[in-house]
Amino acid sequence: MIQWRWLRSWEAVLVAALVIELLVLGAINPAFLSVENLLFSTSDFAHVILGALGLTLVVITAGIDISGVSIMGLASIVLGLSWVAGADIWVAVAIALAVGSLGGAFNGMLVANTDVNPLVLTLGSMFMFAGVATGLPGVLDLLGFKAYGAGGFAAYQYEGITGLPKEFTALAHGGVGWVPNPLIAVLLFALVLSLILHRTRFGRYLYLIGVNPNVARYSGVPVKSVIVAVYTLSAFGAAMAGVILTSYFTSARSDLGSEALLNIITAVVLGGTDILGGSGTVLGTLLAGLVLGFLRQGLLALGVSNDVIPIIVGGLLVGTVAMKLGLIAFNQRRGNRRAYQLEISETREGGGSPA
Amino acid sequence: MNRIVKNRELLVLVILGVLIVVIGAISPNFLRPTTLINIVNSSLFLLLIAIGEMFVILTRGIDVSTGAMAGLAAVILGVSLNAGVPLSIAIVLTLLTGLAAGAVNAVGVTAFRVPPIIMTLGSLGVYRGLMLLITGGSWIETIPHSIKSVAAFRVAGVPALIWISLAIAVAVAFALKNLKQARYLYAVGDNEEGAFLLGIPVKATIFSAYCLSGLFAGAAAVVFVAQIGFVPMQTGSGQELKAIAAVVLGGVSLSGGVGNSMSAVVGALFLTAVDSMMIFLKVPGFWNNAVGGAILLAVVFIDYRIRCAVRDQQQRARAREMDLSTLEKNNPAAGSASVMGKAT
Repeated sequence: MIQWRWLRSWEAVLVAALVIELLVLGAINPAFLSVENLLFSTSDFAHVILGALGLTLVVITAGIDISGVSIMGLASIVLGLSWVAGADIWVAVAIALAVGSLGGAFNGMLVANTDVNPLVLTLGSMFMFAGVATGLPGVLDLLGFKAYGAGGFAAYQYEGITGLPKEFTALAHGGVGWVPNPLIAVLLFALVLSLILHRTRFGRYLYLIGVNPNVARYSGVPVKSVIVAVYTLSAFGAAMAGVILTSYFTSARSDLGSEALLNIITAVVLGGTDILGGSGTVLGTLLAGLVLGFLRQGLLALGVSNDVIPIIVGGLLVGTVAMKLGLIAFNQRRGNRRAYQLEISETREGGGSPA
Repeated sequence: MNRIVKNRELLVLVILGVLIVVIGAISPNFLRPTTLINIVNSSLFLLLIAIGEMFVILTRGIDVSTGAMAGLAAVILGVSLNAGVPLSIAIVLTLLTGLAAGAVNAVGVTAFRVPPIIMTLGSLGVYRGLMLLITGGSWIETIPHSIKSVAAFRVAGVPALIWISLAIAVAVAFALKNLKQARYLYAVGDNEEGAFLLGIPVKATIFSAYCLSGLFAGAAAVVFVAQIGFVPMQTGSGQELKAIAAVVLGGVSLSGGVGNSMSAVVGALFLTAVDSMMIFLKVPGFWNNAVGGAILLAVVFIDYRIRCAVRDQQQRARAREMDLSTLEKNNPAAGSASVMGKAT
């Protein structure tokens, strides 16, 4: 019974979509369907899923965070600059994650302490973080830090920082068996978020805040600190994505990840999270991210041009949501009709007796 | 003072004025008419997109595809001019492209009830993709010079495009105040169900808002191509977010029903002026985004604090009034009681 129920869930639909997609793409191009190839191609879109996983929690609280794409670049450039400034590479990674999370905490404070739409606030901070990420190298020069190369830190502004240590750049290219490290990071992050969301009181608070923040506050939920925590968590995911991208591309750049916004939000929405808050699962986002990512990889492998892909992704996003809404409306109407007919037959049967 | 505090456009305009004077004091060149005209001129693209965006936000929607619609319209303009279509027909085609793109969003939002941010995010991808498909991913660089003459045409030393755009903005502001159909936008944005129960054609109103957004994106595309004379692939990229920032900065509320076209004008002018000021302060251009974002956050935050302060003040005043009235009610009773006490 429980399993039958699960089959009717959105996650099951996504699993089916994933299987069908892989089979179809594999039938057209058999080379695409090798397990090793599939697993390693996830590294190309791991950052999208990482960003989407954290965003899922934010969207469940009826918020939105579009600054994640800027946090990726910020984390990347902070990592590179800290390393150039002489920090150990792992210390640099820690600094990057910390700075990214701080950015998220900043977003959270703004959202928690004003009644302004989170879209506006994170729009502002998105511009701000992106600007800081591009401007940061120059600031370090002004502050009198010493860089090893010629031209000071400002030289890194557009070219990015290369020559990062091997043990770090090998990270995103290595893996355990056939499973690449970026995918492991994605799965671990999904597991942790999933436990937080579905197994802790904090997770329940997120749904409650998404449904009705006033009720949440009146029932004693510490709404403000929960909001700050959830934006911080989301930014941490984005910062992690920035670090992984840096390792994957072997260079730290301030514009890493800036193209991912459409894909990230698509993954969240396709994963079944309600953009108006109050419902959604981490598993759904993970599956939707995989569906989207493999679709992209598969189409590229088939020789479809990169230009057509946003059309397909955009169409898919709108189509899915329209279909889901249509299905809900249809079910509701059917349910209403059934209830109405039941009512009619009951009143007919019992028509004589009440009087 | 109270008026400035309550009127967001005025608040932003005052901040802008102060900034202009300060920058002018530091670098007098900034105050030369040509500089100021150039600022207004380069704000036109953002200004027109922002006015379109405003219609949608008034109805409590959001349109993140405006930049992509402008890009698509610009490509259509470039392609049709290169195909030998006369200028006036090409411009009409461009506007129609924007209108059609907006109508697609409108259908999705009204007929299929897709949440606006998802609908327009999806169409953002679609329009960008179409743009790349039509051009094959390369810039349209050689466009007949007839289009540049549109931007070069000046009246009283000021480009005609500025006059036209400002006239449109004023006309829209007038319409928003006086036209019944335009008032529907506010009613729908303020309370959709209430508007529906009042008999306002809610769906038609929302539909027209998205169409207008597309139409204005088309107009912005004409201005853009006329001003720079070619169509790069990044045309309009990221501008949708800037337009939203401009509109919100000027005082349009994302919760719908508040604001008018002057908000869009002031917001767009402000953001563009700040970019120019940075040049005059010799700050490298890559700081523009950081400063723009910080200003948006600061203004929105200050506005929130002001609204809280005004509300508190009003509530305190009301509380005082209540106190007084209860005192007045009680006092005569107390007085008569004491009189009666004395009498006995």
